[in-house]
Amino acid sequence: MIKVSHVSKSFRHGKNAVNDLSFEVQPGETLVLLGTSGCGKTTTLRMINRLLIPDQGDIFIGTKNIRTESPENLRRNIGYVLQNTGLFPHYTVLENISIVPQLLQWDKSRIRNRALTLMEKLRLPPATYAHVYPQQLSGGQQQRVGLARALAADPPILLMDEPFGALDPLTRISVRNEFKLLDELNSKTIILVTHDVEEAFELGSRICIMNEGRIQQMGAATELLFNPANDFVRHFLDKQRLELELKSLRLRDIWPYLDGSNSGNGTLLSADTNCWDTLEYLIQDKAGSTFRNEEKQLDGNILMNAINAYKKTVSQHGHT
Amino acid sequence: MDTPETFLDFVRQQSGKLLEQTLTHTGLTFISVLIAVCIGVPAGILISRRQKLAGPVLGITGILQTIPSIALLGFMIPLLGIGPKPAIVALFLYALLPVVRNTYTGIQGVDPNVMEAATGMGLSPRQLLLKVQLPLAMPVILAGIRTATVINVGVATLAAYIAAGGLGEFIFGGIALNNTHMMLAGAIPAALLAILFDWGLSRLQRLNMRKARKTTLVLPAILLLLSSFYLLPETYNSRLKAGFTPEFMGRKDGAIGLGTVYGLHLRTLVISDMIMYKAAYEKKLDVISGSSTDGRVKAFDLVVLEDDKHIFPPYYAAPVVRQAVLDKYPELAPALDQLSGTINDSIMTELNYRVDYLKQNPQQVAKDFLVSAGLWKPARNGTKGVIRIGAKIFGDGYILANMYKMLIEGYTDLTATTKTGLGGTKIVFDALVNDQIDMYPEYTGTGLLVILQAPQQTVDSIIGDSQKVYDYVKEGFARQYQVQWLKPIGFNNTYALMMRREQASRLHISSISDLATYVHH
Repeated sequence: MIKVSHVSKSFRHGKNAVNDLSFEVQPGETLVLLGTSGCGKTTTLRMINRLLIPDQGDIFIGTKNIRTESPENLRRNIGYVLQNTGLFPHYTVLENISIVPQLLQWDKSRIRNRALTLMEKLRLPPATYAHVYPQQLSGGQQQRVGLARALAADPPILLMDEPFGALDPLTRISVRNEFKLLDELNSKTIILVTHDVEEAFELGSRICIMNEGRIQQMGAATELLFNPANDFVRHFLDKQRLELELKSLRLRDIWPYLDGSNSGNGTLLSADTNCWDTLEYLIQDKAGSTFRNEEKQLDGNILMNAINAYKKTVSQHGHT
Repeated sequence: MDTPETFLDFVRQQSGKLLEQTLTHTGLTFISVLIAVCIGVPAGILISRRQKLAGPVLGITGILQTIPSIALLGFMIPLLGIGPKPAIVALFLYALLPVVRNTYTGIQGVDPNVMEAATGMGLSPRQLLLKVQLPLAMPVILAGIRTATVINVGVATLAAYIAAGGLGEFIFGGIALNNTHMMLAGAIPAALLAILFDWGLSRLQRLNMRKARKTTLVLPAILLLLSSFYLLPETYNSRLKAGFTPEFMGRKDGAIGLGTVYGLHLRTLVISDMIMYKAAYEKKLDVISGSSTDGRVKAFDLVVLEDDKHIFPPYYAAPVVRQAVLDKYPELAPALDQLSGTINDSIMTELNYRVDYLKQNPQQVAKDFLVSAGLWKPARNGTKGVIRIGAKIFGDGYILANMYKMLIEGYTDLTATTKTGLGGTKIVFDALVNDQIDMYPEYTGTGLLVILQAPQQTVDSIIGDSQKVYDYVKEGFARQYQVQWLKPIGFNNTYALMMRREQASRLHISSISDLATYVHH
């Protein structure tokens, strides 16, 4: 869907540069660009909708080189969500959401219906919020309007630059959960930039860790955790390692190493449950799980032993 | 004697003229602001996009702003003549800086996040400007237009100096004639206009927060409407165009007398005496109200029309000195009186010509004359006291003040300082009676009509006889103000109508009666 090929970009002030960057994003995938500030992740994002022009290299959307298209047309078909929303302060919520459909010259009733639908989906009841100005909204509401605005014209691609970065921690978690549950996003190809490791692991189907303008490693959560490509990746994830591991491993991943008898006691959990949630459950209750017609009894020890065994195998033989 | 009428009487009497002046003033102000908006806003937009131009453009408009308004008006005369055109251009230049700077600042001040989002959503540069930058910068741009408007209401009063009309006619006429009512009749409406326009635009500014996009359309419409006030029909139509100073316009021995005695009614513009002569020379005007000894009469080859019905009173110059000063320094009067009888009309015109036109230093001109008349003595550098000599802003005053300074310092142990350039009669006379200066050269006619404001019968009975006028003002000044008239210097700097020599001889006009005959046939 999106192909970035040998792209470099440098600035006179020396920061935020990108060096010979190549990656591809598949349709429907959510790729997270993760790294510290100044690593070039936002620069990469801004090159995709031509807010910046690469010094070298090419970017393709589908099979089309984006240089060949007018920047306005390109951008109207890419949703763009910013950290500080960038809502128009002189437009109402409804008007803000309608901007891109208007640029695309949809007819009025279609624009209005689309905007109202999105407001409903994003828990912004139109009766209350349609004619309100952005500065009258809370931070979380503003961010939801920003998301609705990006989705209004139903673009196949969504670029998100630290979309939850300006929110307080509690609001951030709730907006993020809504984001995950939003059906509108299911079919979208998304590139999301963040410096928040937890957020990256929670939202990304793949994660791309960047440092000093280069990709350090790109892959699924378990690959980054259990087969780090270098010390930078290892250290970058160390602080939250346990939590990240527990959250990214599902019961099915460690099934062969689970050493439980099948006594069939307590609740039966799905094999897709991650280890973090399983542990939380086990603190309160007994539980077991079934996978491929096999039932296993779980407890804390069994789970932790299985995880350790899994890690040992993976680090010796590589990821499967 | 005070003017018996009240301020309201004056306003009632002059209501037609006041309304006309107010409309002209409003028109002048807004037509220039409108042009400034038409040029300044695009200029502001341009420099917000090409940052390299911002410095030079803001610098140039800033420099324009620092040019004194009267000087800027003066610069316009050679380029655009007199009347509304140069006034509008000058006002436009003043309005430019606030408009350009606020447009630029307003656009620069738009939240970069909003700009980034707008660009990222695919707004074209044009849509970005119209939908985002201008609406969000509008309060700041409007504030600039407010500033420009208020500045222009003030500066537009000076338009009266170059025959563009407006409330300045009353203000400067009032100052020149020592007529407080007239002055206030110009100043109060001007102040009210400034307040009114500022308030009106502030309403627009607040309205705008919600309806930014509509304001963009309303504003030009309002500006256009107000500007159209300027396009008033010209009421007079005559074969010759006259330019009179504000002072001359309101005087019994000026334009009023021309109408009543000679029956002369010209299409008249009000204009500053500083540019009047040149305007006549450049054929922008045909008849002007000059003063007979002005150096520019010679410089611009003008001819003085004979006052065959004697409406201009004698204006013999003589020093007026506070009695207290004469009592304290008895040697002062004899020193000053030495000048009496030495300067006639043609000598004074010649001296003025050297100062006004040949740009010689008044001090040098004064000294040369005293030397040639055998009156000059080196300064004694005495320490007995200081005499402060005032003078009006005309050439006569500068030269005479310098002569008196040399005479005082050469013949007595006193020293003298000069304070020249004290505006009109009212300002210099107020300075004298309030002990800010000790003496200045005054004209008998001015003393009679402007300062003493003698009753009409008295004026009529003595006006033909210069000695009687001198005696009357000498007595009146001594009694009312404890100010003494010394001996007259000799020349008569009276009002005079003048024309270009070439035109006057072509039309066979040599007196004011000839002029009246020509104009009305």
